Amino acid sequence: MERILEIENISLQFGGVKALDGVTYHINKGEIFSLIGPNGAGKTSMLNCISGLYQPTGGSIRYKGQEIINMKPYNRTNLGMARAFQNIALFAHMSVLDNLKLGRHSLMNAGIFSGGLYVGKGSKEEIAHREKVEEVIEFLELQDIRHTPVGTLSYGLQKRVEVGRALALNPELILLDEPMAGMNNAEKDMMSRFILDMHEVMGTTVVLIEHDLGVVMSLSDHIAVLDFGKLIGFGPPKEIQQNPEVIRAYIGEETVI
Amino acid sequence: MRNIFVRESGNYKTSYVDDMKLFGTTGEKVKIALIIGLVLLVPVFATNYWVGLLTLCVISSIGAIGLNILTGFTGQISIGVGAFLGVGGYTSAIITSTMGLSFWISLPLAGLITAIVGGIFGLPALRLKGLYLAIATLAAQVVILFIISRWTSVTGGTAGMVLSRPSIGSFTFSSNISYYYLSVVILLITVLYATNLLRTRVGRAFLAVRDRDIAAQIMGINLFRYKVLAFAVSSFFVGIAGALLGHYTMIVSPELYSTTVSIEYLAMILIGGLGSVLGSILGAVFITLLPVGLGTFVDMVVVYFPDLYSLLSAFKEFAFGLVIILFLIFEPGGLAHIWLNIKKYFKLWPFSY
Repeated sequence: MERILEIENISLQFGGVKALDGVTYHINKGEIFSLIGPNGAGKTSMLNCISGLYQPTGGSIRYKGQEIINMKPYNRTNLGMARAFQNIALFAHMSVLDNLKLGRHSLMNAGIFSGGLYVGKGSKEEIAHREKVEEVIEFLELQDIRHTPVGTLSYGLQKRVEVGRALALNPELILLDEPMAGMNNAEKDMMSRFILDMHEVMGTTVVLIEHDLGVVMSLSDHIAVLDFGKLIGFGPPKEIQQNPEVIRAYIGEETVI
Repeated sequence: MRNIFVRESGNYKTSYVDDMKLFGTTGEKVKIALIIGLVLLVPVFATNYWVGLLTLCVISSIGAIGLNILTGFTGQISIGVGAFLGVGGYTSAIITSTMGLSFWISLPLAGLITAIVGGIFGLPALRLKGLYLAIATLAAQVVILFIISRWTSVTGGTAGMVLSRPSIGSFTFSSNISYYYLSVVILLITVLYATNLLRTRVGRAFLAVRDRDIAAQIMGINLFRYKVLAFAVSSFFVGIAGALLGHYTMIVSPELYSTTVSIEYLAMILIGGLGSVLGSILGAVFITLLPVGLGTFVDMVVVYFPDLYSLLSAFKEFAFGLVIILFLIFEPGGLAHIWLNIKKYFKLWPFSY
C-alpha cells in the first residue's frame, strides 16, 4: 500500500506542556483515516502540524515521500492538501460560491492585471473554475444557497460549506476536523455519505477527527488514538476496539472499592 | 407600472457567463448609462464654482477607492494616505516641472512610484495588526512628510512646487470643466478596475485576509504577499489621485498632505461604507461637500444673528465631528448601507417583508 503521509516521531511543546509526544503513524493513499482521542488529546494540534499552522518541536512529516515540516502552510495547499476547520472558519460576508472559489485559490492564476481587466484570460479562468465549483455545489447539495452570504446560514449548512471549501481544491488529502460536531443523527448520516462519496467517487484520502465512535468505526480503514499527546493505538477499527489502552482512555480504569 | 427596483424579476440566467456579468440585465445597463450621462451632463447646468467642487469630489473618490481597497477590503488600517497623496503629487510635479516630461507619462508613473513606496511601508503589516499597524503607517506619514519638506533640492522644501495643467496637442485642460471630464474618465476606469479586481481571485484573497487570516493561509494565500499587494494597489490609486489633485490645484506643498488629510480620507470610507466601491464615492462626495454645506448654512444664519458669528464658525468643526460620531453609532455600514436599505424597502413595497 502506498503511503501518502508519514508522521514520524512528531513532538510539539508549548512551554512545559507536551501537546504531542513522539507520535508516529502513517496514512495510506486512498483510505479513510480517523484520528480519535479524548478532549485535549492533541488531535487538532496534530492536524495543525500537518497543515503547517504549528511548527513541531521535533520529528518529520513526509507527504508522498517529500519532507514538508518546514514548508509554509500556503505552499502545502499547492501539494493538494485541503482542510476543513472544527470551529467554522468560513468568510461570513462572502457568498457560498465565493467561499468555494476561495478554496480553489491556489489552482487559479489571475493577478491584479488580468483580474482587474476581466477581459480574455481573467474572465475565462473565472468561468472555468465556476464550473468546477458548481460540481462541488452539486455534490454537497448546496444549489439553492449558492448566492447566500455564509454568515446567514444555519450551523449544519455552514459545516457543509466548510467541507465543500476544502473539497473545492480537488485535494488528494483532505483533513476534516470534526465535520459532524454538534449535528443530529440525520445530519451525521448525510455527512457520512458525503465522506464515503468523496472517498469512493473522487478517490480522496480522508483524515477525519470525530468523537462519534460509531461513525468512526464504520467509516475508517485505519484509526490512530491519541491520549495526552501520546499515540496509544494505531490500526484497523477491529484492533482498536480490543486495545486495552484505548478502552482505559475512553472508559477509565475499573476502581476497586 | 413595474417596480423599477425589481429588475432581476423574470430574468433567468442560462449560462455561467451570463450569471457573472457585471451588468446582466437591460435595466442595469440603462441605469449605469443614465448615471454616467448625468455625471457627464452636470457641467452644462452647474456654475464654474460647483464644477470645481465636483472635480475635487471626483479626485477624492479615486483616493477613497484606493484606501477602501486597503482598509475596507483587506482590513489593514492606514493613516498614511495623506503622505501617499503627497508622493503622487510630488512625483508628478518632479516629472513634469523639473524633468519636463508629459503629464500622460507622469500620471501612471506617479501611481507606480506611490505603489512602490506604499508597498515598502506595508512591509510591517506581516507582523502588525489593527492599532499597531495604524501607528506604523502613521510613521510613514511622518517620515514621508519629513523627506518632502527637507529634501529641498528636489522638492523645493516648504515652498512647494508649481505644476501646470495637462494638455493634448494644442488643447490644455485649463478650464474647470475640461479637468472635470478628465477626472471623471479616470474615476470610471478606477471604478471598473476596482469592481473587477474585487470579484476575482485577488479580491477574494483580500477579503479572506481581512476576515480570517489563518483560514486564508490554509486556502493557499500567502498573507505577506497579499498584504503588501493590497498596500501597493491601494497606494497606486492614492498616488493617481495625488497627481490629479496636484495638477488641479497647480501647486504641491508639504502642508497639503498633513495627518488631517489622512483622517479625512479615513472618515470618507467610514461614512461611505467600508468594503464598498459605491460607498467610497458617496463618502468622498459627502466629506468634500460637508464643509461647504455647513459654511453656506452658517452664512445664512449669521444674517439673522450677527452676534453669534464666532460661535457659529466654531460650529462647523463641531458639526463635522458630530456627523462622524453619529454615523459610527447609527449606521456603521455607512452611506452605501443606507442606499441598500432604501433599495430593499422599495423592492418589497408596499409590503414590509
